[in-house]
Amino acid sequence: MTDSSERPLEVEETNRGTRTDEGWLSEYARDHVVHGLVIVAFLVYPVVYDLLGRSPLASEAAAFLPGLTFMIAVLYLGLFAMSFDFVSGYTGYLSFGHAAFYGTGAYAVVLATNGKIPGVPADTPFVLTMLLGAVLAGVLALAMGAVSFRLTGVYFAMITLGFAQVLYELVRNWGYVSPNPSEGATVDGGALEVGVPYVDSLGLAVGRLTGDSFENVLGTGFDVSATMTSYYALALVVVVCYFSMQRIIHSPFGKAMIAVRENEERAEAVGYDVFRIKMGAFAASAFFAGIAGALFAGYSRSVSPESTYFFLVTADALIVTIVGGIGTLAGPLYGTVFHEWLGDVLSTEDDGIATYLRETVPEGLLTTDVGGVTFADVINSVVDGRAPLYLGIVFVLFVLFVPNGLLGTVRDRLGGTVAERTGDVLERYRR
Amino acid sequence: MTLLELEGVHTYYDESHVLQGVDLAVEEGEIVALVGRNGVGKTTTLRSILQLTPPREGVVRFRGEDVTSEHTHEVADRGVGWVPEERRTFGYLSVEENVRVAVRSDQDFDALREYVFDLFPALERFREKEARNLSGGQQQMLAIARGMVGDNDLLLVDEPSEGLAPMIVDQVVEALREASAETTMILVEQNFPLAMDLADRFYLLDHGTVVESGPTADVSADDERIRRYLSA
Repeated sequence: MTDSSERPLEVEETNRGTRTDEGWLSEYARDHVVHGLVIVAFLVYPVVYDLLGRSPLASEAAAFLPGLTFMIAVLYLGLFAMSFDFVSGYTGYLSFGHAAFYGTGAYAVVLATNGKIPGVPADTPFVLTMLLGAVLAGVLALAMGAVSFRLTGVYFAMITLGFAQVLYELVRNWGYVSPNPSEGATVDGGALEVGVPYVDSLGLAVGRLTGDSFENVLGTGFDVSATMTSYYALALVVVVCYFSMQRIIHSPFGKAMIAVRENEERAEAVGYDVFRIKMGAFAASAFFAGIAGALFAGYSRSVSPESTYFFLVTADALIVTIVGGIGTLAGPLYGTVFHEWLGDVLSTEDDGIATYLRETVPEGLLTTDVGGVTFADVINSVVDGRAPLYLGIVFVLFVLFVPNGLLGTVRDRLGGTVAERTGDVLERYRR
Repeated sequence: MTLLELEGVHTYYDESHVLQGVDLAVEEGEIVALVGRNGVGKTTTLRSILQLTPPREGVVRFRGEDVTSEHTHEVADRGVGWVPEERRTFGYLSVEENVRVAVRSDQDFDALREYVFDLFPALERFREKEARNLSGGQQQMLAIARGMVGDNDLLLVDEPSEGLAPMIVDQVVEALREASAETTMILVEQNFPLAMDLADRFYLLDHGTVVESGPTADVSADDERIRRYLSA
């Protein structure tokens, strides 16, 4: 958009404009091939991981691949990060207080399940408490937005952060939540009933401690663990939420959100009430953040102020959004995969790279002393539990050299979204 | 019929008193040029009409109604379109989406899209491309198109020829002529001969006030009273 940019763009005329005559179903399918592949990858991952765990490569798989519990965290944290990107990446307003919505969704589930929300019976199914949490988060966003959207830029980010920290302190000291509110609250009683017709009769339930397991599924000799059941249940919700957000972004409202991000004055001058658009986007993003928090609470069955309302929860979403690509919606999910993978493989627990190295590197090499430092010391100081260190380094490198993030860079290279471009390539091959 | 009236408009940027009592009127169907040196308040006049920079004193009337206390989107909803300077489009929206955001909900988008591509055939082959990837002239055409599709009765066009190659300027002028057949226009333009060529009447601004006005047919850039205000 420089004044000297008089060079006409030389690109091929696309044929997308002529597609309307074709069946919308095949067009839709073509545009969603990539989405389908990603969903399939998430579907088969637990199975592949399980099979690898029983193969000769078991120790390598445990060391270098994220475990299932980490992949479950990818789901709810990924959804949270996508909701953060939904408002921050598409309207340009950095929601630094986004943890407040995640916390509201999480606490709503735990409080409702413990019968502590007036008018909500303790046996209310999880699906309803999840929606309740999401709606409450949306309402909270409207209240926060009414004040915060009077400001822009860094001031908006700071005031939302301030609101979230106020709520963090409140929840931390609110005796109604639990006898020890600073430690958080736990779901009393048994399994959380899902609450979807016909699904409960299958005996599924949310929560790693209570989810059902299935042995020898369809006579294949394959067992579905309780954790795996939770993984698929959560994944289903995340997929629905992703496509909902994606639909909104591709709707006229979504285009108006982008117009606001590009230039608020111009958006207003074409007739948009930008305040309403920002409020709508903020509330919608808070709704999905609330769902993410509810999934976290439903799965972990316990919440604490530190794991929900704390500002570092938002910071994690910001980091994975930058790594995955801000303003790409799906990018933060990939950023979360990276984040959780790094956290898993560099963890101090049994199945990390550190353990693998200690077990596989010959004893002689481990204890070889070079200038007073052994290889075992190196593992302890630069590998074992060092995920935050490398995450920080990666974050800095991305900000410096890959500012558009993983998915943003790929889109720039392809000249459009991966889903669209893949559809175009497939179309060309078909002809 | 008078479409737009400004009466004693005073507009400030913080403490800087930019418009110091601007009076002007625009009749339906005409093109009015606002001319003058850099910094005399031409763009600010447009911003004041749209309430992007609301006047502290004075009245802006559109179709006889005072719009001074309205929000920008309300003024836009009345049928005032804006083609901002530096041909600002929504860079990360495609050409088609740039048109779509300007189309009102009760309008037929498909028909308007085809109307735009008939008017600016150069844009059609880039319909799926993000606007930031277009050339300067193409972006200017898109900005004009965006102003035209919103069912606007008045189009505020800010410096349409700025920074464009002469050949592209000709295309843009042609586009503006096409646009003027359908809508009233206020044109802010540094290029005095171009402004006089396009417009029916002009207002010459200096130090935030109107110092000369009249039909463009009566003046030329050599005119002493004009030259005095245009030369730096």
